[in-house]
Amino acid sequence: MSFEYAPAIALLPLVSFAIALTVGSRMPKKGAFAGIAATGGSLLLSLLAVRQVAGGEHHNEELLVWAGAGAGTELELTFGILIDPLSALMLIIVSLVAFLVHVFSLGYMNDEGEVGLPRYYAGLGLFTFSMLAFVYASNLLQAFMFFELVGLCSWLLIGFWFREAAPPSAAKKAFLVTRFGDFFFLVGVVGVAVTFAGATETPLAFAGAESFPVVAEEVVEGSMGAGELATFGFAPQTWFTILGLLVLGGVVGKSAQFPLHTWLPDAMEGPTPVSALIHAATMVAAGVFLVARMYGFYAVSPQALAIIAFVGGFTALFAATMGVVKDEIKQVLAYSTISQYGYMMLALGAGGYIAGVFHLMTHAFFKALLFLGAGSVIIAMHHEEDMWKMGGLKQKMPVTYWTFLAGSLALAGIFPFAGFWSKDEVLFEALVHGLGASPFLLAAYAMGLLAVPVTAFYTFRMVSLTFHGEARTEAAEDPHGVRWNVKFPLVVLGVLATVAGFLNMVPVVKLLGASHLGPIPLEALHDWLAHGIEGVNAEHYTLADESLTHEFAGYTAGYVGSELVTTLLSAGLSLGLAVVGAIAGYRLYDAPDPTEHTDRLGSMKTVLYDNYYQDEYQVWLAEGVTAPLAQLANRFDQGVVDGVVDGVSSVSLLSGSRVRRIQTGVVSNYAALITAGLIVLLIAVGVLGGWF
Amino acid sequence: MAVPVEYYLLLSAAVFCVGLFGILTRRNALMFLMSVELMLNAANINFVAFSQYWGNLTGQVFALFVLALAAAEVAIGIGIILVLYRNFGDVDVTLAREMRW
Repeated sequence: MSFEYAPAIALLPLVSFAIALTVGSRMPKKGAFAGIAATGGSLLLSLLAVRQVAGGEHHNEELLVWAGAGAGTELELTFGILIDPLSALMLIIVSLVAFLVHVFSLGYMNDEGEVGLPRYYAGLGLFTFSMLAFVYASNLLQAFMFFELVGLCSWLLIGFWFREAAPPSAAKKAFLVTRFGDFFFLVGVVGVAVTFAGATETPLAFAGAESFPVVAEEVVEGSMGAGELATFGFAPQTWFTILGLLVLGGVVGKSAQFPLHTWLPDAMEGPTPVSALIHAATMVAAGVFLVARMYGFYAVSPQALAIIAFVGGFTALFAATMGVVKDEIKQVLAYSTISQYGYMMLALGAGGYIAGVFHLMTHAFFKALLFLGAGSVIIAMHHEEDMWKMGGLKQKMPVTYWTFLAGSLALAGIFPFAGFWSKDEVLFEALVHGLGASPFLLAAYAMGLLAVPVTAFYTFRMVSLTFHGEARTEAAEDPHGVRWNVKFPLVVLGVLATVAGFLNMVPVVKLLGASHLGPIPLEALHDWLAHGIEGVNAEHYTLADESLTHEFAGYTAGYVGSELVTTLLSAGLSLGLAVVGAIAGYRLYDAPDPTEHTDRLGSMKTVLYDNYYQDEYQVWLAEGVTAPLAQLANRFDQGVVDGVVDGVSSVSLLSGSRVRRIQTGVVSNYAALITAGLIVLLIAVGVLGGWF
Repeated sequence: MAVPVEYYLLLSAAVFCVGLFGILTRRNALMFLMSVELMLNAANINFVAFSQYWGNLTGQVFALFVLALAAAEVAIGIGIILVLYRNFGDVDVTLAREMRW
């Protein structure tokens, strides 16, 4: 069986986008059903793709050459589809969350009587299309194009309520900040194309013997000469690091890593289902996914890996501290999203390819769940988002409460919920490679570990404030009920947030010393990612004895005592810290009328509440540095460049207006001029010819 | 008895200068036309003189062509002068000065 249906996975939501845009206003639910049908179809097709990949098939095909086709050109630009274990897994995540979010939107948007719904569903459809196409893009340029398109959809959907003041401004900020990162990404894409065009037929492809990660690997390894590469005078490895960091600019912007994380909290101005889909589970994951997609390229560069790990670890801690003091439920979730993506970056940078992808998957489930749960609470609270005005919702909304609790336990990393397994693996990878290879990774690990109790604390502060205690406002005393269309997605995601971790129980495997318990695989995801297209799989990246991270970055596992002891120590440490944080958050705020204990932080709280003045310094950078610089450049352009051009033209204008006066219109004058000219010519020829 | 070629050239130059003087000083269009004829004939004299000097008939044939051209030119010139007279009521060339900057 082949993958002929693969294009339809992305094209179905595109059709729903077109339907919602054109005839959505005349449809019963304003385009929602088209979106549900399309994303449901994508989900089924993705499941089919996963089944085939599980059977050992892969798909890497060029569909369309859209530039440079024909003889005599070095570089062809193409659209293609790459389905391997990584992209198949991500296809499932994206189409599943998109499907559930469409269903949830029936409750959050349709039932609440919002206007402009065709526009909303068109946006969701376009987003789902772009994201799916990004996920199975076969080359870097295609990935970049859809990366930009998801950014556009994010802008459209954050600014959905464009008649209010805040959403359009938040949308603009999100667009500009991510675009700043994408600028570097674009330079990186061009750089990759230029560098590898001489050495391979398909310099931008992600997979295959001629793809850029494979060529880069061969060059660094020495089995291929660097002569055909354009490295602009750098050593190949140094140049690959530079290119990798340029692409990383786009990753940092899209995955909201420090210092380009400032847009994500503001993006919460958009509708809550949009926050769940775009700003938690999928679009923000695009950055991390891109690093995983071209992991072979980063793996040959130890500096790039170290930077990824350090940025990730720092962001994890940094964002978690800000989440502690926020009052609005979606703000807390936004900072926790930034923090969790930090963990994924930490894992990827520390050589934990599987751990990073695992956390990406579990996070997509539990964070989408938490956002949808928050959406359910917001419906019930008549669009009030301040947690201090909630309280006591536990009895009134049991489904929301229990699913939200599952998501919170997963986020906090409590055994045996999904987040525990993935976060533990992230920290374990960082720890062993830190011990074995570089103290730099140990520092990143320490930050990641420190963020664990903070995460658990703010998570349970949020749960207690929202659901426990007594109702603090009239809205909380008499919440608005939610229907099946809200509960159904919550239950599905709640189950996933509970059980998704069982896909990869590394500590259990170490403890039992066997990878299967009877017929049940204990590390299914591990096996899933280990095999795939030649040169583009976890086996090659990190697992094998001759793996890329081991060969080129020198990542070797180091242990305290034995491997088992280290595993248990790491798991115990992160679980213990998470439990301490969770209990502290629960105890401090589980009161009928809780007080804000973070007030005790004093001026530190102000700093945290104002996000370490990140917005302020970025505005200052824009207004105080960039704007004057741009003004200076403008003055140079207007004065010097335009001045020279204008000067040349005014000289010729002036001389033209003088010289034309010899054109008198009187025939005798012309005759005289001709005669004079003849005489001058004669004299000149005579003088030069030596007649006199 | 052969006349030396320098004499012909002097005659030709004299006729040419008379024609040129006429063009530069006269305002009457008919005088203009006549001056142009004089200059053309100065060239003809040169053609014929050199033709005889080199013993080659080409120059004489050219002189015949110039005569024919001059006749055609006069026909067009007279036409222009007629139009000039119709528009300005005079044949003064300095009156028609519309085509300028």
